[in-house]
Amino acid sequence: MDRKLIRPDSIDEALSERQKYGLDAMPIAGGQSLLVLLRNKLVDPKILIDLERLAELHGLQRQANAISIGAMTTIFTLASSADVEKAAPLGQAATKVGSTAIRNLGTIGGNVCHNEPGADLPPSLLALNAVAELRSKNGTRKVPLGEFFRSYFETVVGPEELLTRVEVPALPNGAAGVYLKHAISSEDLAIAGVAVVLIPDGNGGGAVREVRIGLGGVAPVPFRAAKAERALAGAVLKDEAIREAAEIASSEAEPMTDPHASADYRRKMVKVLVRRAIVAAKEQMERKGNGQA
Amino acid sequence: MAKLKLQVNGEEIGIEAKEAALLLDVLREGLELTGTKRGCETSHCGACTVLLDGMAVHSCVVLAARCEGKEITTVEGLSQNGELNELQRLFLKHGALQCGYCTPGMLMAATALLRRNPRPDLEEIKIGLDGNLCRCTGYTGIFEAIQACAQGGRS
Repeated sequence: MDRKLIRPDSIDEALSERQKYGLDAMPIAGGQSLLVLLRNKLVDPKILIDLERLAELHGLQRQANAISIGAMTTIFTLASSADVEKAAPLGQAATKVGSTAIRNLGTIGGNVCHNEPGADLPPSLLALNAVAELRSKNGTRKVPLGEFFRSYFETVVGPEELLTRVEVPALPNGAAGVYLKHAISSEDLAIAGVAVVLIPDGNGGGAVREVRIGLGGVAPVPFRAAKAERALAGAVLKDEAIREAAEIASSEAEPMTDPHASADYRRKMVKVLVRRAIVAAKEQMERKGNGQA
Repeated sequence: MAKLKLQVNGEEIGIEAKEAALLLDVLREGLELTGTKRGCETSHCGACTVLLDGMAVHSCVVLAARCEGKEITTVEGLSQNGELNELQRLFLKHGALQCGYCTPGMLMAATALLRRNPRPDLEEIKIGLDGNLCRCTGYTGIFEAIQACAQGGRS
């Protein structure tokens, strides 16, 4: 039987359809991943619930201490937003997603809910301590991104829920962020994707209060390299310490082998990219400290 | 089945299609606009690139129902009064095609790029075409044609 397409005009209506159809239906955001899964018959829902007409979910709002990003905001919008650029490394990651055509239609909500290993946005969102807003007919709950991803292609979003917004807390002045991606071809998913955020301690001595390292493509879910972060927090970032932290981050990865790269290679790339990302973020932080950026 | 009203190459067209039909299928099968090519069907190759409100999209991953109220432009919409447009003529002049299968998609991606950024540098051209693969002649002639078009100031 032909697949049914429901096109609700409001969040309430969309949530009613979610409740009514449960696992028989899948929400469709930008469709850039889901329509490929349908074509390859990897999923076969009877019904698609199209979220495009939910006007509240499009676009981003700057708030006092955060940016609130509607789930249907396109990657193109993220990549070209001055507000997002301040939330480094998210803006950099947005420019690395897929290709131009995919960025034009793909959305932040679809990107995180699809939860494909190697997706570019999750490492940055993790490093920014982003929070997902999930809604159902029964209410709203907020889930830190660190608790959002469950396993390959699985998240905590329930069959009656929708991801409605992603809230990205603002970074303190002087903070720096970098996203680095390793892939064979630019439109591929990341073999390894590394987001680093550095927060200076504010004493002007070049020490960092906090180091945050988000990793993608190198474990069943994107995650924060917590041990590597702890190894660097509170110190001035010396080359040797950065190398050691990169080594620790590499040992925290649990990569798999697939046709794009072996587990061993991915682990090595984590080491290389974490080091490079910290060095680049440190230089960015120093430029900001000197009032040059 | 659903009745769709689509704006294609400046013309309003009514057509029946499956509710969750893809734009690629509606263009090729429904409207017989076969300039838009069926390639990988998984949003990698860009042979099916068309413009949706001026933006390059891969029509193999676009629901046709979502295109109502938006302007769709296919490669058939580029020529003017039966003549190839400037960009198309420059593709010929610079040997920017061999088998030609990727060409409609390349033309549409380049058109979107030049509308947004009439003077792209080489790096910007490469990013603009990052969703389009050519598997025979290579990219040099394509980049040259687009650069020539940008220098002529017309797209």
